[in-house]
Amino acid sequence: MLGEFEYVLITTAAALGEQAYGAAIREEIARTTGRRCSLGALYTTIDRLETKGLLKTWMGDATPQRGGRAKRMIRVTAKGVQAAKDFYDAVTRVSRGASWVVNRKGRSSV
Amino acid sequence: MSLSWSLTEVAAHLLRQEEREVVLGDLSEAQESPWRGLLNVLGLVTRRQLLLWKSWRPWLSGFGLALPCSFLLMGASIGVSQAYQHLGLPGTFNQQPLFLCEVLLLALWSWSGGFVVGRLSRSTLWISVLLCFSPCLFCLARFRIPSLSRASLFLFLLPAAVGVFQSMRGVQIRLKAAFALAVSITALMVYMGSRNRLGFLNWSLLWPVWYIVATTRHPSEEPE
Repeated sequence: MLGEFEYVLITTAAALGEQAYGAAIREEIARTTGRRCSLGALYTTIDRLETKGLLKTWMGDATPQRGGRAKRMIRVTAKGVQAAKDFYDAVTRVSRGASWVVNRKGRSSV
Repeated sequence: MSLSWSLTEVAAHLLRQEEREVVLGDLSEAQESPWRGLLNVLGLVTRRQLLLWKSWRPWLSGFGLALPCSFLLMGASIGVSQAYQHLGLPGTFNQQPLFLCEVLLLALWSWSGGFVVGRLSRSTLWISVLLCFSPCLFCLARFRIPSLSRASLFLFLLPAAVGVFQSMRGVQIRLKAAFALAVSITALMVYMGSRNRLGFLNWSLLWPVWYIVATTRHPSEEPE
Protein backbone atom coordinates (compact mmCIF):
# COMPACT_ATOMS: atom_id res chain seq x y z
CA MET A 1 0.00 0.00 0.00
CA LEU A 2 1.09 3.58 -0.60
CA GLY A 3 2.49 5.78 2.12
CA GLU A 4 0.74 9.00 3.07
CA PHE A 5 3.11 11.28 1.18
CA GLU A 6 3.09 8.98 -1.83
CA TYR A 7 -0.70 9.23 -1.93
CA VAL A 8 -0.60 13.02 -1.61
CA LEU A 9 1.95 13.23 -4.43
CA ILE A 10 0.05 10.94 -6.80
CA THR A 11 -3.24 12.69 -6.12
CA THR A 12 -1.71 16.12 -6.65
CA ALA A 13 0.02 15.02 -9.86
CA ALA A 14 -3.23 13.53 -11.13
CA ALA A 15 -5.11 16.75 -10.32
CA LEU A 16 -2.53 18.89 -12.14
CA GLY A 17 -2.76 16.67 -15.22
CA GLU A 18 -0.61 17.97 -18.07
CA GLN A 19 0.87 20.63 -15.81
CA ALA A 20 2.32 18.21 -13.26
CA TYR A 21 6.01 18.85 -12.62
CA GLY A 22 8.19 19.36 -9.54
CA ALA A 23 7.65 23.05 -8.73
CA ALA A 24 3.90 22.93 -9.51
CA ILE A 25 3.40 19.83 -7.35
CA ARG A 26 5.33 21.37 -4.44
CA GLU A 27 3.26 24.52 -4.64
CA GLU A 28 -0.01 22.61 -4.82
CA ILE A 29 0.92 20.38 -1.88
CA ALA A 30 1.85 23.46 0.18
CA ARG A 31 -1.45 25.12 -0.76
CA THR A 32 -3.70 22.14 -0.03
CA THR A 33 -1.99 20.65 3.02
CA GLY A 34 -0.43 23.79 4.49
CA ARG A 35 2.93 21.99 4.67
CA ARG A 36 5.96 22.68 2.52
CA CYS A 37 7.66 19.61 1.21
CA SER A 38 11.39 19.60 0.57
CA LEU A 39 12.87 18.93 -2.84
CA GLY A 40 14.63 15.93 -1.34
CA ALA A 41 11.37 14.35 -0.18
CA LEU A 42 9.68 15.20 -3.47
CA TYR A 43 12.25 13.85 -5.90
CA THR A 44 13.22 10.74 -3.94
CA THR A 45 9.53 9.87 -3.66
CA ILE A 46 8.99 10.51 -7.37
CA ASP A 47 11.92 8.20 -8.16
CA ARG A 48 10.55 5.48 -5.88
CA LEU A 49 7.08 5.71 -7.41
CA GLU A 50 8.52 5.66 -10.91
CA THR A 51 10.53 2.54 -10.06
CA LYS A 52 7.31 0.91 -8.89
CA GLY A 53 5.66 1.90 -12.17
CA LEU A 54 3.15 4.23 -10.52
CA LEU A 55 4.46 7.38 -12.22
CA LYS A 56 6.13 8.15 -15.50
CA THR A 57 8.49 11.11 -15.85
CA TRP A 58 10.22 12.81 -18.74
CA MET A 59 12.11 16.01 -19.38
CA GLY A 60 9.88 18.87 -20.46
CA ASP A 61 10.48 22.29 -21.96
CA ALA A 62 12.58 25.02 -20.46
CA THR A 63 10.89 28.32 -19.65
CA PRO A 64 12.33 31.81 -19.04
CA GLN A 65 10.55 31.83 -15.68
CA ARG A 66 12.86 28.95 -14.67
CA GLY A 67 16.02 30.60 -15.94
CA GLY A 68 15.86 28.54 -19.12
CA ARG A 69 16.00 25.26 -17.26
CA ALA A 70 13.99 22.17 -18.11
CA LYS A 71 11.10 20.73 -16.10
CA ARG A 72 10.68 17.12 -15.07
CA MET A 73 7.15 16.36 -16.16
CA ILE A 74 5.15 13.72 -14.33
CA ARG A 75 2.19 11.57 -15.32
CA VAL A 76 0.35 9.10 -13.12
CA THR A 77 0.11 5.66 -14.73
CA ALA A 78 -2.96 3.40 -14.62
CA LYS A 79 -1.19 1.37 -11.95
CA GLY A 80 -0.64 4.58 -9.97
CA VAL A 81 -4.31 5.49 -10.23
CA GLN A 82 -5.24 2.03 -8.95
CA ALA A 83 -2.77 2.28 -6.05
CA ALA A 84 -4.15 5.69 -5.05
CA LYS A 85 -7.72 4.36 -5.27
CA ASP A 86 -6.80 1.37 -3.09
CA PHE A 87 -5.22 3.69 -0.53
CA TYR A 88 -8.26 5.96 -0.49
CA ASP A 89 -10.64 2.99 -0.13
CA ALA A 90 -8.56 1.60 2.73
CA VAL A 91 -8.50 4.95 4.55
CA THR A 92 -12.24 5.37 4.00
CA ARG A 93 -12.96 1.85 5.34
CA VAL A 94 -10.73 2.20 8.35
CA SER A 95 -12.21 5.60 9.16
CA ARG A 96 -15.82 4.37 9.39
CA GLY A 97 -17.09 4.92 12.88
CA ALA A 98 -14.21 7.19 13.88
CA SER A 99 -15.51 9.97 16.09
CA TRP A 100 -14.20 12.75 13.87
CA VAL A 101 -15.89 11.23 10.83
CA VAL A 102 -19.19 10.68 12.65
CA ASN A 103 -19.11 14.18 14.11
CA ARG A 104 -18.35 15.68 10.72
CA LYS A 105 -21.33 13.83 9.21
CA GLY A 106 -23.46 15.07 12.04
CA ARG A 107 -22.35 18.63 11.52
CA SER A 108 -22.82 18.51 7.77
CA SER A 109 -26.38 17.19 8.14
CA VAL A 110 -27.39 20.09 10.40
CA MET B 1 24.01 36.86 -8.13
CA SER B 2 24.15 36.39 -4.35
CA LEU B 3 26.66 34.28 -2.50
CA SER B 4 23.99 31.92 -1.26
CA TRP B 5 22.68 31.30 -4.79
CA SER B 6 26.24 30.67 -5.97
CA LEU B 7 26.65 28.16 -3.13
CA THR B 8 23.37 26.54 -4.14
CA GLU B 9 24.63 26.15 -7.70
CA VAL B 10 27.91 24.68 -6.45
CA ALA B 11 26.05 22.24 -4.18
CA ALA B 12 23.82 21.28 -7.10
CA HIS B 13 26.89 19.96 -8.90
CA LEU B 14 26.69 17.01 -6.53
CA LEU B 15 23.54 15.99 -8.42
CA ARG B 16 23.37 14.40 -11.87
CA GLN B 17 23.35 17.02 -14.62
CA GLU B 18 19.74 16.38 -15.63
CA GLU B 19 18.51 16.55 -12.06
CA ARG B 20 20.61 19.63 -11.37
CA GLU B 21 18.83 21.52 -14.13
CA VAL B 22 15.43 20.47 -12.87
CA VAL B 23 16.17 21.34 -9.25
CA LEU B 24 17.69 24.76 -9.99
CA GLY B 25 14.77 25.48 -12.31
CA ASP B 26 12.27 24.55 -9.60
CA LEU B 27 14.04 26.81 -7.11
CA SER B 28 14.06 29.72 -9.58
CA GLU B 29 10.40 29.25 -10.39
CA ALA B 30 9.36 28.98 -6.75
CA GLN B 31 11.41 32.11 -5.96
CA GLU B 32 12.67 30.31 -2.94
CA SER B 33 15.04 32.26 -0.70
CA PRO B 34 18.62 31.34 -1.63
CA TRP B 35 19.48 29.89 1.78
CA ARG B 36 16.35 27.75 1.77
CA GLY B 37 17.25 26.69 -1.75
CA LEU B 38 20.69 25.66 -0.55
CA LEU B 39 19.17 23.61 2.26
CA ASN B 40 16.82 21.96 -0.21
CA VAL B 41 19.66 21.01 -2.53
CA LEU B 42 21.81 19.70 0.32
CA GLY B 43 18.83 17.75 1.63
CA LEU B 44 18.31 16.12 -1.76
CA VAL B 45 22.02 15.29 -2.10
CA THR B 46 22.04 13.76 1.38
CA ARG B 47 18.95 11.67 0.67
CA ARG B 48 20.42 10.49 -2.63
CA GLN B 49 23.65 9.42 -0.90
CA LEU B 50 21.81 7.69 1.94
CA LEU B 51 19.60 5.79 -0.50
CA LEU B 52 22.70 4.37 -2.16
CA TRP B 53 23.58 2.65 1.10
CA LYS B 54 20.42 0.56 1.00
CA SER B 55 22.31 -1.67 -1.40
CA TRP B 56 25.01 -4.11 -0.31
CA ARG B 57 27.44 -2.89 -2.95
CA PRO B 58 28.81 0.27 -1.29
CA TRP B 59 29.18 -1.64 1.99
CA LEU B 60 31.19 -4.35 0.31
CA SER B 61 33.20 -1.83 -1.69
CA GLY B 62 34.03 0.38 1.29
CA PHE B 63 34.17 -1.89 4.32
CA GLY B 64 34.81 -5.23 2.64
CA LEU B 65 37.46 -4.10 0.21
CA ALA B 66 38.85 -0.53 0.42
CA LEU B 67 39.37 -0.40 4.19
CA PRO B 68 40.84 -3.85 4.95
CA CYS B 69 42.74 -4.21 1.70
CA SER B 70 44.54 -0.90 2.12
CA PHE B 71 46.07 -2.29 5.36
CA LEU B 72 47.16 -5.49 3.63
CA LEU B 73 48.44 -3.71 0.53
CA MET B 74 50.47 -1.30 2.64
CA GLY B 75 52.04 -4.35 4.29
CA ALA B 76 52.76 -5.84 0.88
CA SER B 77 54.23 -2.50 -0.29
CA ILE B 78 56.63 -2.47 2.63
CA GLY B 79 57.50 -6.11 1.92
CA VAL B 80 58.39 -5.23 -1.67
CA SER B 81 60.45 -2.22 -0.57
CA GLN B 82 62.41 -4.30 1.94
CA ALA B 83 62.95 -7.07 -0.61
CA TYR B 84 64.26 -4.45 -3.03
CA GLN B 85 66.73 -3.20 -0.42
CA HIS B 86 68.03 -6.72 0.16
CA LEU B 87 68.47 -7.43 -3.54
CA GLY B 88 71.86 -5.78 -3.67
CA LEU B 89 73.27 -7.83 -0.79
CA PRO B 90 75.74 -10.63 -1.57
CA GLY B 91 74.21 -14.09 -2.04
CA THR B 92 70.74 -12.83 -2.91
CA PHE B 93 70.90 -13.40 -6.66
CA ASN B 94 68.46 -16.31 -6.41
CA GLN B 95 65.96 -13.99 -4.68
CA GLN B 96 65.32 -12.02 -7.84
CA PRO B 97 62.48 -14.24 -9.19
CA LEU B 98 60.77 -14.07 -5.81
CA PHE B 99 61.11 -10.31 -5.80
CA LEU B 100 59.60 -10.07 -9.26
CA CYS B 101 56.71 -12.27 -8.13
CA GLU B 102 56.15 -10.00 -5.13
CA VAL B 103 56.11 -6.91 -7.33
CA LEU B 104 53.77 -8.55 -9.80
CA LEU B 105 51.44 -9.75 -7.08
CA LEU B 106 51.34 -6.31 -5.46
CA ALA B 107 50.49 -4.70 -8.78
CA LEU B 108 47.80 -7.27 -9.64
CA TRP B 109 46.21 -7.29 -6.19
CA SER B 110 46.09 -3.49 -6.21
CA TRP B 111 44.76 -3.22 -9.73
CA SER B 112 42.06 -5.86 -9.21
CA GLY B 113 41.04 -4.33 -5.88
CA GLY B 114 40.76 -0.87 -7.43
CA PHE B 115 38.86 -2.24 -10.41
CA VAL B 116 36.32 -3.99 -8.19
CA VAL B 117 35.88 -0.92 -5.95
CA GLY B 118 34.99 1.12 -9.04
CA ARG B 119 32.75 -1.60 -10.43
CA LEU B 120 30.86 -2.21 -7.19
CA SER B 121 29.74 1.31 -6.52
CA ARG B 122 30.64 4.31 -8.62
CA SER B 123 28.38 6.73 -6.80
CA THR B 124 29.96 6.04 -3.42
CA LEU B 125 33.51 5.90 -4.71
CA TRP B 126 34.50 8.93 -2.66
CA ILE B 127 33.57 7.08 0.54
CA SER B 128 35.62 4.06 -0.56
CA VAL B 129 38.55 6.37 -1.29
CA LEU B 130 38.25 7.93 2.16
CA LEU B 131 38.10 4.48 3.73
CA CYS B 132 41.20 3.49 1.78
CA PHE B 133 43.12 6.60 2.82
CA SER B 134 42.22 6.56 6.51
CA PRO B 135 44.46 3.52 7.29
CA CYS B 136 47.14 5.12 5.11
CA LEU B 137 47.18 8.24 7.28
CA PHE B 138 47.11 6.07 10.41
CA CYS B 139 50.14 4.07 9.27
CA LEU B 140 51.93 7.14 7.94
CA ALA B 141 51.76 8.74 11.38
CA ARG B 142 53.21 5.59 12.99
CA PHE B 143 55.80 4.73 10.37
CA ARG B 144 59.04 3.77 12.16
CA ILE B 145 61.33 2.03 9.66
CA PRO B 146 64.41 4.25 9.36
CA SER B 147 65.83 2.45 6.33
CA LEU B 148 62.68 2.97 4.26
CA SER B 149 61.04 6.07 2.88
CA ARG B 150 57.46 6.73 3.94
CA ALA B 151 56.51 6.62 0.27
CA SER B 152 57.19 2.89 0.37
CA LEU B 153 53.83 2.49 2.14
CA PHE B 154 52.01 3.66 -0.93
CA LEU B 155 53.43 1.55 -3.75
CA PHE B 156 50.01 0.00 -4.17
CA LEU B 157 48.23 3.28 -4.84
CA LEU B 158 49.20 3.75 -8.48
CA PRO B 159 47.99 0.36 -9.79
CA ALA B 160 44.89 0.64 -7.58
CA ALA B 161 44.14 4.09 -9.04
CA VAL B 162 44.59 2.71 -12.57
CA GLY B 163 42.11 -0.07 -11.71
CA VAL B 164 39.55 2.41 -10.38
CA PHE B 165 40.02 4.68 -13.38
CA GLN B 166 39.56 1.87 -15.89
CA SER B 167 36.53 0.61 -14.08
CA MET B 168 34.97 4.08 -14.00
CA ARG B 169 35.59 4.43 -17.73
CA GLY B 170 33.62 1.23 -18.24
CA VAL B 171 36.53 -0.86 -19.49
CA GLN B 172 35.24 -4.37 -20.15
CA ILE B 173 37.39 -7.44 -19.57
CA ARG B 174 36.78 -10.56 -21.58
CA LEU B 175 35.94 -13.65 -19.59
CA LYS B 176 38.98 -15.54 -20.85
CA ALA B 177 41.30 -12.68 -19.89
CA ALA B 178 39.70 -12.33 -16.45
CA PHE B 179 39.97 -16.07 -15.89
CA ALA B 180 43.62 -16.13 -17.01
CA LEU B 181 44.36 -13.22 -14.66
CA ALA B 182 42.67 -14.94 -11.72
CA VAL B 183 44.49 -18.22 -12.35
CA SER B 184 47.80 -16.36 -12.69
CA ILE B 185 47.34 -14.51 -9.40
CA THR B 186 46.28 -17.71 -7.66
CA ALA B 187 49.29 -19.60 -9.04
CA LEU B 188 51.64 -16.79 -7.98
CA MET B 189 50.14 -16.82 -4.51
CA VAL B 190 50.50 -20.59 -4.23
CA TYR B 191 54.12 -20.28 -5.34
CA MET B 192 54.84 -17.48 -2.84
CA GLY B 193 53.02 -19.40 -0.14
CA SER B 194 55.18 -22.47 -0.79
CA ARG B 195 58.26 -20.25 -0.23
CA ASN B 196 56.79 -18.87 3.03
CA ARG B 197 56.64 -15.39 1.48
CA LEU B 198 52.89 -14.90 1.78
CA GLY B 199 51.01 -13.88 4.91
CA PHE B 200 47.87 -15.83 5.78
CA LEU B 201 45.68 -12.71 5.59
CA ASN B 202 46.97 -11.88 2.12
CA TRP B 203 44.85 -14.75 0.76
CA SER B 204 41.89 -12.43 1.24
CA LEU B 205 43.32 -10.24 -1.53
CA LEU B 206 42.41 -12.99 -3.96
CA TRP B 207 38.66 -12.45 -3.97
CA PRO B 208 38.50 -9.26 -6.06
CA VAL B 209 39.99 -10.94 -9.11
CA TRP B 210 37.63 -13.91 -8.79
CA TYR B 211 34.79 -11.43 -8.34
CA ILE B 212 35.82 -9.95 -11.69
CA VAL B 213 35.63 -13.44 -13.21
CA ALA B 214 32.24 -14.12 -11.63
CA THR B 215 30.74 -10.83 -12.81
CA THR B 216 32.25 -10.74 -16.29
CA ARG B 217 29.77 -11.67 -18.96
CA HIS B 218 30.48 -14.47 -21.34
CA PRO B 219 30.70 -13.07 -24.91
CA SER B 220 27.55 -15.00 -25.89
CA GLU B 221 25.61 -13.21 -23.10
CA GLU B 222 26.64 -9.70 -24.13
CA PRO B 223 23.96 -7.63 -25.86
CA GLU B 224 24.43 -7.14 -29.61
